[in-house]
Amino acid sequence: MEADAVKSTDLRKIYDGIDEIEALKAVNIEVGRGELFTLLGPNGAGKTTFLRIISTQLFPTSGDAFVLGYSAVSEAEEVRKHIAVVPQDVATYNNFTPWEYAYYFARLRGMASPAARQKAEEALKAVDLWDLKNRMCQTLSGGEKRRATIASVLSSDADVLMLDEPTSGLDAVARRGVWSALRDLVKSGKTILLTTHMMEEAEMVSDRLAIVNKGDVVACGRPDEIKGLVREKFRVVINGDFKQLSSFEVAKLGDRSIVYVKTQDEAIDVLKDSLKMNLRAEASAVTLEDVFVKLVGGLNNHGNQ
Amino acid sequence: MGISKVVKDTFLIAWIKSYPDFRRNPLMLVLIAMISSIPLFFMLMFSGGGNTIIHGLIGAMVSSVAFTGVMAGIQDISWDRYVKIREMIVAMPVHPGSYALGIALAPLLISIPSLIFFGGLVAFMGFLTVETLAWTVLALIIVWAAMSTMGFMISTYLFKSSMMILNNLSNLLGIGLIFIPPVYYSEAQLGGLSWISIVIPTSNAAGLIRSYMGLLPLSMETTIIRWSVLIITTVAFMAMTFIKARWRET
Repeated sequence: MEADAVKSTDLRKIYDGIDEIEALKAVNIEVGRGELFTLLGPNGAGKTTFLRIISTQLFPTSGDAFVLGYSAVSEAEEVRKHIAVVPQDVATYNNFTPWEYAYYFARLRGMASPAARQKAEEALKAVDLWDLKNRMCQTLSGGEKRRATIASVLSSDADVLMLDEPTSGLDAVARRGVWSALRDLVKSGKTILLTTHMMEEAEMVSDRLAIVNKGDVVACGRPDEIKGLVREKFRVVINGDFKQLSSFEVAKLGDRSIVYVKTQDEAIDVLKDSLKMNLRAEASAVTLEDVFVKLVGGLNNHGNQ
Repeated sequence: MGISKVVKDTFLIAWIKSYPDFRRNPLMLVLIAMISSIPLFFMLMFSGGGNTIIHGLIGAMVSSVAFTGVMAGIQDISWDRYVKIREMIVAMPVHPGSYALGIALAPLLISIPSLIFFGGLVAFMGFLTVETLAWTVLALIIVWAAMSTMGFMISTYLFKSSMMILNNLSNLLGIGLIFIPPVYYSEAQLGGLSWISIVIPTSNAAGLIRSYMGLLPLSMETTIIRWSVLIITTVAFMAMTFIKARWRET
């Protein structure tokens, strides 16, 4: 049987220090080959710690993690042959060009020059940087710089790509460019493990995702499966002070309310009630963000009544 | 991992770290030469004549490799917090030795133009023969190794210090180990304190080069002791780095 692309078994990490922090609490995750799997969680949830252990940069306190069946703890050298990583908040060398990023990183992986050239070209085209390949990074926009670093992992030809918050700080257009490149890679058979705290990103690009909070996996599955974990299937966003709370769950966001209901009929009732009160309202299916907030922080953390 | 891959990666990393400066930041090369030339300027202005200039040129050669050597290891730590190249390379099939040596080699490559410049002047003054060239190159390589490993040792022990502290420290060390001890001037001027020059790798190397050029009379025993001290210092810095350094964090 083929091993999972990524698998962790009871993975624990405790950071020693003045305040001992348990960053991961016996985490078990399995990522299939050719899957784009997202670790979704708030800041400090343990996403980066997980990624750094899997990518052999950090030792776990206990448990193990495997990439294509190789242990990240005891077979790091084998694991490194099959992975490529873009760390969080990575800056670029100002006097490097996107071409140099893609080409030299491919060479460091042991590729011969002609193969590295070909891979660098493919990677830069995939992230739409081919026309800017010889521009120095200091003259590129934030999004272009980020895509240059992503090109350095794409050119690697690694089986498993790991990207830590690859689109943070990018505008919507640049973000979609990265998403598109990631989905193309998945189509070509690569496995991608990425972390994000952006719900939209997780929902748009992931085949499956795990919601991580305080070192624990609180939910894991396809985006639609995760959304199915809560009873309420619809939300009505109301502009103004909505009085008829009755049996519905309501999250208050200042002068706005989000009412969560189980059925379409209930959503229509809430819409009618708000219109009677002369309040503007809009109904839709619950989002991943709604589910995330419920699972991670509870609505009380976000102004629930 | 095969030895050929380790060697290839070393040069590749050194190239990655130096090539952009060669191609796009040539002022950096001028800056290195200028920093090394500053004491020479004062020597020219206020020298008492004699061999002052040749002493200064030897100092400038040592300074060219030592100043950038000590900065390489320290600045790698501080820069890496932003550029994170090391973090990316840790997760690659690259040997840690290739990374460290490549990082240390890069400034040596960058200092080659100024070395050639100062070496050319020494040759022009008639102090560089084939034999003295060989000893000079050897001394420069060892002092580069000593200063680079010192830089790595400091960065390893001060891994969590702020970028400001690390940068200031690398500059202070560069100045303290190059401009204060007898690197630009003859250790004979220190009189009874001339033994200090043996302890400090930069002045030790400068003294050895001077002796091969006939500027400093050293007995065979003293020469052997000085080479030994230079090598032992380098090995000691290396050992202290290996004890503390971790390629993977724990």
